[in-house]
Amino acid sequence: METMEKDMILIADDAEINREMIKFIFDEQYHIIEAEDGVQAITAIAEYSDRLCLLFLDLLMPKKSGLDVLQFMNDEDYINTIPVIMITGEATDETDEKAYEYGASDIIYKPFAPNVVMRRAKNIMELFEHRIYLEQKLEKRTRQLRESREKIERSNEFLVNALSSVVEFRSLESGEHIQRVKYFTKLFLKYIMKIYPKYEITKEQAALIVNASALHDIGKIAIPDSILLKPGKLTEEEFEEMKKHTVYGCELLEKFKQEDNEFYRYCYDICRYHHERHDGNGYPDRLEGDAIPIWAQIVSVVDVYDALVSKRVYKDPFAVEEAARMILEGECGVFSPEMIDCFTMAEQELFAATEGEFSFADVMVK
Amino acid sequence: MTVQEFYDEVGGDYNEIMSRLRTEDRIRKFAGMFTRDESYKALVQGINDGNVEEAFRAAHTMKGMCQNMAFTRLYKSSHEITEILRGNDIDSAKQMLDVVTEDYNIVIAGIGKLLA
Repeated sequence: METMEKDMILIADDAEINREMIKFIFDEQYHIIEAEDGVQAITAIAEYSDRLCLLFLDLLMPKKSGLDVLQFMNDEDYINTIPVIMITGEATDETDEKAYEYGASDIIYKPFAPNVVMRRAKNIMELFEHRIYLEQKLEKRTRQLRESREKIERSNEFLVNALSSVVEFRSLESGEHIQRVKYFTKLFLKYIMKIYPKYEITKEQAALIVNASALHDIGKIAIPDSILLKPGKLTEEEFEEMKKHTVYGCELLEKFKQEDNEFYRYCYDICRYHHERHDGNGYPDRLEGDAIPIWAQIVSVVDVYDALVSKRVYKDPFAVEEAARMILEGECGVFSPEMIDCFTMAEQELFAATEGEFSFADVMVK
Repeated sequence: MTVQEFYDEVGGDYNEIMSRLRTEDRIRKFAGMFTRDESYKALVQGINDGNVEEAFRAAHTMKGMCQNMAFTRLYKSSHEITEILRGNDIDSAKQMLDVVTEDYNIVIAGIGKLLA
């Protein structure tokens, strides 16, 4: 839908002669409407705004002055779509300044030469038309770009989910583990952003982290079935191999890396560090405290929680309160005080999510 | 009466108006409009009421019209009274009004003959 044909010119001046002087210049090509005072001018502008391509405005008029009309046009944002040429007998710097300040495109002094008026008017109308056309084009382009980007983001999310599901199929864990980890990560991030602004996590970053969390166990693809699917306790050797899923995951990601962007960073860190511990006794790098990136810390706690409340090949699910207690009392990994805090704050929502929306056969029903 | 004669009689600039309006028909049309304009009346009313603002605006409008119509003599007196009123001086304005009135009447009478 393109704009309506702009074929109208408004001439506002209290003297008929003055209006006529301008009217005859344009009335063959344009439809002319006239106003005798500021109030009539304002009414006309409001009524014909989508057809007006130019406005001639006298400064001194009864009821409302030319400046008042300009003010109105500014308030209602007509000033950017309808060019205004002031006509005046006054030639003071002060009124000139004011008129331009209020958005007039040009000022013409009486008496004027009709040809000059016509040329200037045409130039100004052309300029406005061109600018409006460009703005519309720009708006359209911006919208298209945004739509493309959203499409790409959705593809990415789909791919990440698909990739991570591959692991799940192999390890015969609940098909929804990934979804739950993502959901819990999202929940945790909500509280982190609220309670700990010091981590400076933005909404955009949070979205990326949630997606990245889906890949935390991608390294398990490289672990042999004999270990991955063993129902009993792992030997020391077997456990050492299992621990390497963190590092294998990173190797895999590096192969797929396209560029060193933020999302890649999150995927890598989460993959590598989601088994580190706050006291430095984790693996693979024995990082301590704040050296562990916050996004890895979050996935760490969330992963443990989900493991506790789900059925696994090697265990039955725990009750949600029991799982919470074990985490808070340091029985299942060591977490930073901030993580413990967040966990406490998020507890109720976590329980509700576990028992409600994502409840499956292998999560213990109370 | 021709347009040229009219302009000579009222102290106006025929060449200027011709270059602006191009045709004598147009000049006649505009002259007719000039007689219908109420600014002179408003000026007189304003001065009599002591309403400087109204008078100023009327004088200013009239001045503008005279410029457009190339009525040079009437323009000069209108211009002068406009400046007087801008300075808020009602008394001086009353005096100037006599001059304006004289010039105005000459123009009106002239138009009457022109359009007869």
